[in-house]
Amino acid sequence: MIETLIFLPIALAVLILIVRNNTLNIVVTTVYAAVLLTVSIMLYLTPASFTPYFRCDDLNILFLLVLAAVFFGVAVFIIDFLRKNEAPAKSQALFTANLLVFIASMTGVILSTHLALLWVFVEATTLSSAYLIFFSHSDASLEATWKYLFICSIGIAIAFVGIIFLSMGLGNSDSLFFDDLYAGASSINPFWLKLAFPFMLAGFGTKVGFAPMHAWLPDAHSESPSPVSALLSGTLLNAALLGIMRVNKIMTLAGMKWYAENLLLIIGFISIFISAVYIISIKNYKRMLAYSSIENMGIIAICLGVGGAGFFAAMLHLAAHSFTKAAFFLTSGNILHRFKSKNIEDVRGLLKADPTTGWLWMICFAGIVGIPPFPIFLSEFLVARTMIGAGMIVPLVLFLFLLTINMAGIGKAVLRMSFGERVEDADTHRAGVLSYLPQFAFIALLLAMGVTLPQFVQTIIQKAAALL
Amino acid sequence: MIQFIIILFGLTMLYVSVTTRIESYIKAIAAQGVILFLLVLFDYGTTHLANLIFLSFETLAVKAVAIPLFLIYIIRKNGIFREVDPSITNYSSLAITTAIFAAGFYIAYWTVGAVSNIRPFYFGISISTIVTGLFIIISRKKIITHVMGYMMLENGIFLLALSIAREMPFIVAMGVLLDIFIAVYLLGLFINKVQDSYSDTHIDALAKLKD
Repeated sequence: MIETLIFLPIALAVLILIVRNNTLNIVVTTVYAAVLLTVSIMLYLTPASFTPYFRCDDLNILFLLVLAAVFFGVAVFIIDFLRKNEAPAKSQALFTANLLVFIASMTGVILSTHLALLWVFVEATTLSSAYLIFFSHSDASLEATWKYLFICSIGIAIAFVGIIFLSMGLGNSDSLFFDDLYAGASSINPFWLKLAFPFMLAGFGTKVGFAPMHAWLPDAHSESPSPVSALLSGTLLNAALLGIMRVNKIMTLAGMKWYAENLLLIIGFISIFISAVYIISIKNYKRMLAYSSIENMGIIAICLGVGGAGFFAAMLHLAAHSFTKAAFFLTSGNILHRFKSKNIEDVRGLLKADPTTGWLWMICFAGIVGIPPFPIFLSEFLVARTMIGAGMIVPLVLFLFLLTINMAGIGKAVLRMSFGERVEDADTHRAGVLSYLPQFAFIALLLAMGVTLPQFVQTIIQKAAALL
Repeated sequence: MIQFIIILFGLTMLYVSVTTRIESYIKAIAAQGVILFLLVLFDYGTTHLANLIFLSFETLAVKAVAIPLFLIYIIRKNGIFREVDPSITNYSSLAITTAIFAAGFYIAYWTVGAVSNIRPFYFGISISTIVTGLFIIISRKKIITHVMGYMMLENGIFLLALSIAREMPFIVAMGVLLDIFIAVYLLGLFINKVQDSYSDTHIDALAKLKD
């Protein structure tokens, strides 16, 4: 089955580049998204290990399901996006081919059982997503792509330094399989392990978008087409985070839990602080969503740093954030399509101009800041309760304070855009139904998770958290 | 002899830190490629013939010849010859790089007794090369100098991978994958494009996106 997940999309990408037909691009993307979703669900039902290098365990099945579901929604959205796009056939073919390779490399990051292989796939995600960000060929997108490539390549180099340090500290074995690293964690030289962890945290953290390595993230998310922003935020950040989680487990098993936890807490707090600082006076709504991604990644880092029930919160938050943010970014694409501006100032009276988009915008806002029926409320509540249990009162106060600032910043912008009198529309025609369907599906999924937390969702998250 | 070669590797970084001529950067990068080739050939001591052939080809043909030639082609074509107004003066640049190398030597001597599993000299010089590479990226302002700073950083990482005393072939081979980034940067994809859009390839032109 591994052939389907890694090699099929690469083969399809080659086919697309040769044929260069726009209808084929759309068909292939949608069909592959459906295949990925089906295979992921089958893997969930009957876990299977493919080869020594790729395996589906209780932890990465959650990531795979999230990736497949988000990509399926984005693929439905992309039908309209590609159909209405006026770019030349060559650009469209390049876009679709890069998209498929991007998905394949994220699947590779998620499924790999070997630290070096995971690193190689993280590098592949960077290379394959560069063209997706550059797709509009504007000066701004060129700048965003350059920053993305350069900052992430330095991050990947730093992560590699971390892997070298880890190899220097290996005791009797020289295997970098996660299973062997976990089994031999106590025999790894603590000096090298302590040196390696910050490098890997900073390196993979660059891809996750942790502050202060986040400089690429707002630019890339705001300049890329909205479906790409949804994929970057909803799936790429998770995939890189999986690398940090795997390495964090080595630290726990080697008896350096406190060291890793404190570093994660520090980096998490810096992230939500930075996002709060920028989000409160933000002018561009796509950049606002990007800073919100930094905030949510920071929250997940804090959940991991708190430990215990925090792991469950981290996994729940990760899944909930992906679906909410994907819906949010896709909706922002609809707004951009109608108003032709990314400035919050220029958008007014969304509810009157286009009620569907307006309500989606408001609901996504409720979802991302964690208003009760949505699962982000559950995860934030859970981590707050765990912090009280651990006696971390001062960090808790700071955490809630920064979350409130973030909430105020996003709320101010969203309400300003939604209400008010409608402005002269540059483009009055409504987007097709496919530009709304994925968002509704994501929101339905979120409500199902938030209101009842179905047993099987709970089991997936619990099993994943148990492996952290 | 090997130690002398590694010292030469460090000297190339000191040379880069004081020069403003782009061609001197390229010469330093080519020299680093040759030094890495000599190290792979005479000191790496791999037992896999295929690995040895691959690594010597990569260091000599790619790092020491192909990339520098391509760089020279790019700078001649675009008429970039000097790093204009770097963020700090050459004197401070040299002082900082020297301090980084002093720290590198200190680390090298300290690891001799304290840490097993590594070759101390490689380790100290490679750490200081990585830090100097980052420093070059921070303190220079042309896009092409940033890319060259990244190459030096990457050469430092290659040296670091060689400094593991035990043989871990795939770690060294992985370092080669970082060259793909260099290829992407160089192969027209960006340098030429950036050149079209921003006539002076100055990094300040890439500062429109901000909050």
